[in-house]
Amino acid sequence: MMDILSSFSFQIVAIGTMILAFACGVIGTINVLRQNSLIGDAIGHAQFPGVVLAFMIVGTLDALSLLIGALIFGAFAFFVIQMINQYSKISLDASLALVLSSFFGFGMTLKSYVQGSSAYGHTGGIDDYIFGQAAYMLRADVNIILIVSAISLLIFIFNYQRIKIFIFDPVYSHMIGNKPTVMNALILVMTIGLIAAGLKAVGVILIVNLLIAPGVIGLMWSKRYLYVTLIAGFSGLVSAFVGTYISTAYVGFATGPTIILCLSAIVLFSILFGTHGAVRNGLMRRRHAA
Amino acid sequence: MIEVLIVLIMTALATATLGVFLLLKKEVMTTDALSHTIILGIVLAFFLTEDTRSPLLILGASLVGVLTVVLIQWLQNIKLIKGDAAIGIVFTALFALAVILISRFLDHIHLDLDIVLVGEVLFAPFNRMELFGYSIPVAVVQLGIMAVINLLFVVVFYQALKITTFDQIFARSIGIFTVLIYYALMVLVSVTAVTAFDAVGAILVISFFVAPAATAYLLADRLSHVIMLSLGVAVLNSIVGFFIGYYSDLTISGTTASVAFVTFTIAFLFNKDGFISKRVRRKEMHSDLLQLMMLKHIESVSDVGKEDVYSHFNQSQRMLDDAFQSLQKRNLITSTADKMRITDDGVRLIQAKQVEFGLTTRGVES
Repeated sequence: MMDILSSFSFQIVAIGTMILAFACGVIGTINVLRQNSLIGDAIGHAQFPGVVLAFMIVGTLDALSLLIGALIFGAFAFFVIQMINQYSKISLDASLALVLSSFFGFGMTLKSYVQGSSAYGHTGGIDDYIFGQAAYMLRADVNIILIVSAISLLIFIFNYQRIKIFIFDPVYSHMIGNKPTVMNALILVMTIGLIAAGLKAVGVILIVNLLIAPGVIGLMWSKRYLYVTLIAGFSGLVSAFVGTYISTAYVGFATGPTIILCLSAIVLFSILFGTHGAVRNGLMRRRHAA
Repeated sequence: MIEVLIVLIMTALATATLGVFLLLKKEVMTTDALSHTIILGIVLAFFLTEDTRSPLLILGASLVGVLTVVLIQWLQNIKLIKGDAAIGIVFTALFALAVILISRFLDHIHLDLDIVLVGEVLFAPFNRMELFGYSIPVAVVQLGIMAVINLLFVVVFYQALKITTFDQIFARSIGIFTVLIYYALMVLVSVTAVTAFDAVGAILVISFFVAPAATAYLLADRLSHVIMLSLGVAVLNSIVGFFIGYYSDLTISGTTASVAFVTFTIAFLFNKDGFISKRVRRKEMHSDLLQLMMLKHIESVSDVGKEDVYSHFNQSQRMLDDAFQSLQKRNLITSTADKMRITDDGVRLIQAKQVEFGLTTRGVES
């Protein structure tokens, strides 16, 4: 066991995923509470054409330029979703699905163009941006995760009160002078940044899970927002550690999916046995009925 | 080549029929979830059959698709978790399980991830079967059957579907089994997604379900029109997407999804309540009203100068010039040496408009 814990590649992967999971868990609570949790799914997929376009422009799989491409397309996708939502009768879930699949389809089209053309070099590694390849995480990737997570968490901490009021009482929040557009932009910057930073390391699907599952866990154990964010952050952190450990110790356990399964196990346990979970709720209801 | 196009069109028809109801019932993201989890079903069924062509794969995958819906419904029903979060945690967990099963036990089988995600409709004609003495691609038969079943389902249960979609409570009160209708729909969605999986993959099938329906929904108001229009849009997208993809050597499902987004965007901008049409119409109304008010002013103050008229309206110089020129062009006013005067046509228009707006004394008396 100590072998694994002291190995360099394990440390890199564990540190990267733990930081990312903590930040995603904390920031994800916002979207879970605002009933907007699938925005991560849509933006994560929609960033893919940005990654491929960045590759086409730069010519190498340079982590930073791909991150910028992802950020631009994430913001663009969000803008399109907002436009559709505001100026047509299409519901939010349909506009999410539409943007998700169309942008992703466009990304795959670009990718097939790149692969069919001799003008571009080796494209191996672009697929990592879909499924993630945590096991091959590099020092540079961890640095990006660290910087983006730190920025997101700092934004969150400095605006904690405003964000809290905005989540639970948007009308009051507007009344005391916090413009909804500014608040939305703040939340958006944090979410898109984390998705883009984590995309290569853990893939779209895990990012979606990291942004939702910890928040759900937090809500099963507490009704105080501060505790919810802390429980969310730490359950993400612990799952990332355990998941990375299992995936390093046993063959055939991809890191990203293993972390998801750890988190999912905690989610299931919390939904059933949490202080605000199904069993307690059921007991309470029966006691009231009696 | 024509066979590939037929497979694509069959996929489009099978998905678009159900897509309209998914859109209206706000279940599109549930579909996104089950289109991911059917991969788990395919893997599990493969463990049992060890055959990638087995029809059991379709059954197993559809079962897991339905299981996904049941799980999401259960989580939503116990009301501890909000609907969208329930979708998010269920499908990621099942998808992760599928990926681990593949990497742990099926490592020896080459699984092309691109095909999982976006399919490859070009391969469809390679898998053939004999039907009435003709050799036909299996995908054409399967997707053709799905398209017919889905169409029949919508036609036969049209009233029930319509009422449950728009008013669940009323539907229940007149004895429609809304839960049954819902699960019937989701079973068909899941079987359709599985059948279309080889051709268009797990993610792009969502585009096939939602994009034509959303486009049609913006262009038509009656449910029956929306359905028919969505079928038309679906076929159009497939044809255009196919030719772009085929001749530029790009992934055909990808180009079709991109084309579908373009058609949607056009509908979004230019439908009668669309983003651009609305602005154009507002501008037209604005300029019509300004012209009328200018005309009325010129009628009441004869031989008035241009600057004097302009000073009465708090509008940009360009708007005023446009209105003035338009009035002249329509022969409603004459303008000589900066003195403006209303013409007979102008007077008639003013009178007609006064009647139309109910501004005449005659209108009040009667």
